[in-house]
Amino acid sequence: MIRLLKQTLFREFRKFETKQHELNYLFWECTTRCNLNCRHCGSDCSKDSMHKDMPLDDFLKALDTIESPAENFTVVLTGGEPLLRKDIETCGREIRKRGMRWSMVSNGYLYNETNHNSLLNAGLGALTISIDGLESSHNWLRNNDKSFERVDIAIGLAASSSRLNFDVVTCVNKHNFQELEDLRKYLIMKGVKAWRLFTIIPIGRAKEDEEMFLTENQFKGLMDFISESRLKNDIDVKFSCEGYVGRYESKVRDSNFFCRAGINIGSILIDGSISACPNIDRTFVQGNIYTDNFFSVWQTKFNIFRDRSWTKTGKCAECKEYKNCQGNGFHYWHGEKKNVLVCHNEQLKKATNQ
Amino acid sequence: MKIKTKDWKRKIIGGLCLTSIAFVFQACYGTPQDFGNDLLVEGLVKSKKTGLPIKGIKVSVADKVQYTNTNENGEFSFYIEKLQNTKIRFTDTDSTQNYLFSNKDTLVTIKEPLQTSKGAKVYLNIELENK
Ligand code: SF4
Ligand code: SF4
Repeated sequence: MIRLLKQTLFREFRKFETKQHELNYLFWECTTRCNLNCRHCGSDCSKDSMHKDMPLDDFLKALDTIESPAENFTVVLTGGEPLLRKDIETCGREIRKRGMRWSMVSNGYLYNETNHNSLLNAGLGALTISIDGLESSHNWLRNNDKSFERVDIAIGLAASSSRLNFDVVTCVNKHNFQELEDLRKYLIMKGVKAWRLFTIIPIGRAKEDEEMFLTENQFKGLMDFISESRLKNDIDVKFSCEGYVGRYESKVRDSNFFCRAGINIGSILIDGSISACPNIDRTFVQGNIYTDNFFSVWQTKFNIFRDRSWTKTGKCAECKEYKNCQGNGFHYWHGEKKNVLVCHNEQLKKATNQ
Repeated sequence: MKIKTKDWKRKIIGGLCLTSIAFVFQACYGTPQDFGNDLLVEGLVKSKKTGLPIKGIKVSVADKVQYTNTNENGEFSFYIEKLQNTKIRFTDTDSTQNYLFSNKDTLVTIKEPLQTSKGAKVYLNIELENK
């Protein structure tokens, strides 16, 4: 009963948020250069260096079109690997100077004491570092023998800062599934307070690699692992925003599933394209900062993100839980967009023979 | 640029969802949100004796690893965590060039910062004595 009431209220809240569509979170794909060659790459973004890094001034011009930015408006620097940019601190400082907050996603390989200090000096407020298992699994996925050693240093530094809102993310796959409990213990030992787990999108290079994907039973195992870990209270473990997980919703996250892409989340991609999360199919691009006014695109376009009724197709067409899910994470719509690529709820139902 | 406060309607409807964290979100490939608990500390370090700016003075947050250095014009600027009381330490780490200035600790209290639309900041004018 309470669950149903909560769901109804949450749907109203989602409707309200969608109507308001306040921009709270802006990704800036500031480089597509990367220092690693991960196995799951190509699925998440195109790690080519065909594109030059976007000049800071071009990004700032777009940023300055935002009228009355929201309280806690955050620019999330992503890549590629943002630390490959030599002017990363200048970028951060310019954003912070405007009264806006900034944060960064990094693979941790280049994160050391020197840039930990200079990034904090430039007003870095939140940081996410990715780790994909204990030493051998992480190095296997990252295709680099030194990557665990380096990320271990990065995590230690970031976790030692009380200023940073820091978390660690892990892409769960067949290779690291069995070591999640050991990884949890390792992160607690390193002083990490928050850990987010996600799975991989079956596109690009990863699509062909069976090792990358959990079986239905393993996926259910992941939900059980997160639920149980959350009860222990020694580290804030959660499932990422990626998808609707039915009965597990209240057990694996702080809040109900709500894909805020294009509602509160926008992005400026390497070539100036304006979109929502960078992992979304690039055919959903809404404009370009080199030809359009960024904020006016945000205010007047993005209809396809804010009215998701078009996702009522394929397996979502007859789904009884559509009201709560609305076609899963936006990043699961690719190509012809005739069917959602992954339904997490279906995987869970299959695992429990429902 | 004016930063608007979150719409009260949004807060009420979010609150009705029986979850206080309805506004705290992050995309899968993004970071947690930053709630901006920081303070911009800027200033100028001069010699008490000559009145001239001193470059290369280490400006650090006492008991923390964070530090910066004064530039050619004796200026410094960095963001630090906003705490009730923060001790900022000025250390001459370049003594041969700077003629052995004494170290100095300055306490920045939370009541002092200037609240601007772009965040809290404080400006410190520091004079260092010769040893
Ligand atoms: S079928 Fe579609 S709407 Fe239903 S739970 Fe799966 S992804 Fe969501
Ligand atoms: S598109 Fe995907 S990553 Fe972005 S908010 Fe939606 S579910 Fe999260």
